[in-house]
Amino acid sequence: MSDLDLDFDPDELAMLRQLFRTEAQDALETVTTRVLAGGSAKPTPDALTEMMRVTHTLKGAAGTVGLNTMVDLSHRLESALAAFGREPSPWTPATADLLVEVTDALRGYLDVATSPAGEPAAEPAADKIRDQIDQIARPHRRPMSLPPPFVEPLPEPVIEPTLDGAPIPEAKAWLRVEPERIDELMSSAGELLFDRTRIERRVQLLRTVARDLARTRQNLHDALDTPNVPSRAALGEAESELAGQAALLSQTTAALLDEIEALRRTIGELQKSLTRIRMGPARDLMTHAARTLRALRRATGVHVELRTIGEDTEFDKAVAEQLVDPITQLLRNAVAHGVEPPEERAAKGKPATATVTIRARQDGNLLVLEVSDDGRGIDTAALRERLVSTGQWSATRAELANDAEILDALLGSGVSVRGDADELAGRGIGIGIVRQTVSKLGGEVKVSSSPGRGTTFSLRLPLSTALAQAMLFKVGGQVYAIPNVHVIDTTLVDSAATTATVRHEQLPVLRLEALLGQGTATDRRAGIVVSFAGKSLVCTVDKIIGPREIIIKPLGPLLAPLTLYAGATISGSGKVQLILDPAQLVRRAYPDAPDAAIDDAGSAPMVLAGRALVVDDSRAIREAMTSMLGREGWIVDVAEDGARALQMTRQLRYDLIITDLEMPELGGFDLIVHLRKDERFKNTPIVIITSRANPEHRRRARDLGVRALVAKPITRRKLLEALATR
Amino acid sequence: MAELRNVIVFTIGAVRYAVELRWVREVVSLGFVTAVPTAPPALGGVCNLHGTILPVLDVGAVLGGPPGPPARQGDGALVLETEGVVCALRVDQVDHVASLHESGGAIVDAGGKPLTLLDPAVLVRLALELITTVGTAEPVP
Repeated sequence: MSDLDLDFDPDELAMLRQLFRTEAQDALETVTTRVLAGGSAKPTPDALTEMMRVTHTLKGAAGTVGLNTMVDLSHRLESALAAFGREPSPWTPATADLLVEVTDALRGYLDVATSPAGEPAAEPAADKIRDQIDQIARPHRRPMSLPPPFVEPLPEPVIEPTLDGAPIPEAKAWLRVEPERIDELMSSAGELLFDRTRIERRVQLLRTVARDLARTRQNLHDALDTPNVPSRAALGEAESELAGQAALLSQTTAALLDEIEALRRTIGELQKSLTRIRMGPARDLMTHAARTLRALRRATGVHVELRTIGEDTEFDKAVAEQLVDPITQLLRNAVAHGVEPPEERAAKGKPATATVTIRARQDGNLLVLEVSDDGRGIDTAALRERLVSTGQWSATRAELANDAEILDALLGSGVSVRGDADELAGRGIGIGIVRQTVSKLGGEVKVSSSPGRGTTFSLRLPLSTALAQAMLFKVGGQVYAIPNVHVIDTTLVDSAATTATVRHEQLPVLRLEALLGQGTATDRRAGIVVSFAGKSLVCTVDKIIGPREIIIKPLGPLLAPLTLYAGATISGSGKVQLILDPAQLVRRAYPDAPDAAIDDAGSAPMVLAGRALVVDDSRAIREAMTSMLGREGWIVDVAEDGARALQMTRQLRYDLIITDLEMPELGGFDLIVHLRKDERFKNTPIVIITSRANPEHRRRARDLGVRALVAKPITRRKLLEALATR
Repeated sequence: MAELRNVIVFTIGAVRYAVELRWVREVVSLGFVTAVPTAPPALGGVCNLHGTILPVLDVGAVLGGPPGPPARQGDGALVLETEGVVCALRVDQVDHVASLHESGGAIVDAGGKPLTLLDPAVLVRLALELITTVGTAEPVP
């Protein structure tokens, strides 16, 4: 096909193209933003230069990943833009619209061209884009297009390439993140690893102390058991051992508390970075809104302008993504129903061009997004009448309700307003969708209106949300959820079975219909295979709904004691759905397992090889040795030089000593000489690690009874061989 | 007690209760009530209140009496806030805001009719005790 096939293997190429796609989407977004920033006016020379620059970069990158049609398209776009830079060529509102159309079409093109189907699949779309670009350069040749006769249905603002046969791949959600935010995160995560290592080491030390204490006690016990009263010397020795162990115990505990405090701080930082990583300015959402309004204006001929306030307000990018549809819906509503015809506006003394305003601001922990128009407002009297005439409200209720309550009814909160009812208030259907989306995100919608002056929809949402994947299912008429990370499969279970075979494994069956009550009995039931902390079970349910993205809400202090539930989520229709805690399900399915085995996943009981002391002035080597020896079941203490090591050996016994030779303060050989003089370390295995071992070193080592001399760099195999030496 | 102003009087079943207005955050009509299996009858269910999870209490059961009718969508409820806990009491009817007096050892309203004055803090503590007992009980295999 091309030379490129020789350079990259298919996987690599696919990855490169995905990277290109993200980069290209950014470049196209820049062009769109610059065009929209100018409104109907021609962009400034600076803006034009910027647009040409990104288009040029796009061309180069497309070539690198072998997308030749894309090279051609971006070249044409660059030339078209260049024409406006060179000469006073006419820039009309249509030019801006066309450019936005082209960038949108290019996006669609990219989605297909960077998919495995590749550029050939996108070729039909490319032809259309070429035509569009040509029209930008020659606006007068643009064929007349008649505005559609009806206000609705309004066209979707996104233009999708129509392809023959080739399905459009579902676009992956990409999260664009500033590099420094990732750096923060990485550094916190790195710190976390260090914290963990330090704490693990202290805990290992505590275990050793516990073992030593037990041994000392046993010695004392044995001594007291003998018919003769133990000697004063023996008791004294035991006492001094106990004193050393007690001192170590209190030191270690204090250090452990410090390190846990450090860990708490690091986790705090990590949480902050993670929150920041998901935050982005409202600008992207507003740019999208500007594009939508532009498309609406062209489709309807309504004179309307967008004003945006608070573009720098930061909030969760995931939330922003979900808000695209509601905002589009609200804009459609404003254009289709809110804004009066020009003659009516003129009669009221309003400017001919209507204004729709999107305002974003932060209010405590909430994001407030307001979409307002300066149109006719909502006729609450008509809505009131409608509520009564459709029998949804009693006449008394409608009479007593104030306007705010009437408007609330429009959103369908608290009462059910059918689709045909909210039509009458001069609002298109679809407001229900807005409420549903916002409610799913944990927020609420309010509407206020002032007759003749306009309508404001305000969306109040949490700034950030904890989105999680969960498996939803029904038991006894209610919907429940289990975090999806713990769901490994689904299956069918016979009516009376107490175990089920899943992937050749016999698993216990937990009957959720019994646990959660009022289940309906059927012959075979759907089962969800849940796995937690290495234990699996099958939960029977009435019906599996499937995996969904949910927002986890805390249950609050009153419900916290109900350990069966890990939290709750709120459905699109505003119902609370409980989330089951997989740990509790496992506990109920394995009533005999000790709690620790379930809580403390993955910490298998360690077979202790003994306690080792590693002496080296390089931190990297100390860390590496700790990890290698740790895997072999050794409890490892470290010292940075011989002097420190000597100090430590006075307090504790070691079953293995590994030391470097050249160190500040006290060298390796001096350390060994001291140790061998101590009765407790006379025969202790000692291993030397060094980067230069000459015959003289070997002779001295042999004389001091050193078990092995290992040349750096140390590998696990070399170390194990040294330890096996007798 | 000479006089206690600003209490809200309400009825559950045939019993009249009162609670000081300062603890009442809202009077609402309940949204969809989700049942909470394994919880004691004192907890009538949970509701969505402005995007947070609202526990709905059954006052009768919390006070150790028989539970009232199950809480359902559209039922009236008083949303209380005390000691960091927000919860709702399902009520049959909210009567009025009144002043209470003591008369012959009983608390009565302006019309001399006796009623029970609830302390939300005590109510929440009792509910928490009931829920904790159930929540931490040994699971039935």
